[in-house]
Amino acid sequence: MPDKTISYEELAPGYKFPAATYELSASLVSKYLKAVDSSGDGFVPPLAITALAIATMAGSIPLPSGTVAIHASQELEFFKLVPIGTTIECHTGVARKIARGKMSMLILELEVFDQGKEKVQSGKATIALLT
Amino acid sequence: MLTDIQEGKTLNPVVKHVTQEKINLYAEASGDFNPIHIDESFAVKTPLGGTIAHGMLNLAYVSEMMTSAFGRSWLSGGKLRARFKEPARPGDTVTINGKIDCVEQEDGISYANCSFECRNQKGETLVAGEAIVKVSSDKR
Repeated sequence: MPDKTISYEELAPGYKFPAATYELSASLVSKYLKAVDSSGDGFVPPLAITALAIATMAGSIPLPSGTVAIHASQELEFFKLVPIGTTIECHTGVARKIARGKMSMLILELEVFDQGKEKVQSGKATIALLT
Repeated sequence: MLTDIQEGKTLNPVVKHVTQEKINLYAEASGDFNPIHIDESFAVKTPLGGTIAHGMLNLAYVSEMMTSAFGRSWLSGGKLRARFKEPARPGDTVTINGKIDCVEQEDGISYANCSFECRNQKGETLVAGEAIVKVSSDKR
């Protein structure tokens, strides 16, 4: 859900969205593998983790009315294998905010940790906002 | 997995057919219910003219290709940078191709620098990017 405590105009570099926690259960991973038409290999696909982190961010952005958010680019780095059943914590925030004419861009950063506080992955997502 | 990691080696391509049903499944699995992906009546009124697949769905196909080529080395030490140039739409058949551009050594560890592209059936590039994987034999 969008963060009702802040407006898009107030969203500034350095802003941190509320952290989100997920249990990467067998059923969640199975659902993801079905969606991406893949068989899997006993570990959580790293992009499944990224997808959850991005959905957390995307759902938290208080978009201006009439705006369409499009994923423009993505950077990722994976640090460790993640077994099914792991609980992860997604930390996301605003790295940059760019406005060019009718198009705005948000560069968002993400870091994901497991229950042992070890970093699982990190990355940056560029989201273009079309009006 | 690849047995000979050398410059110029192509990775086994991944081919997927994108449907609205798969996009809806991805929305449910990821929790990303942006209406541009799942609500045709909303999407048709936007500059995109209809629903589009999540960029991360295409990137999942890229990761499948990299996992197939490099196994756990990709899952536990891969890096990628991707640009979403055009959206995949329901009905598209997308093909992910990749190759090893070069193999570099740093501190005694070998890294495969790869490039990849995702194209639709018209040959349009939907996603392009680069990936790096640690490929030291003792780490695989």
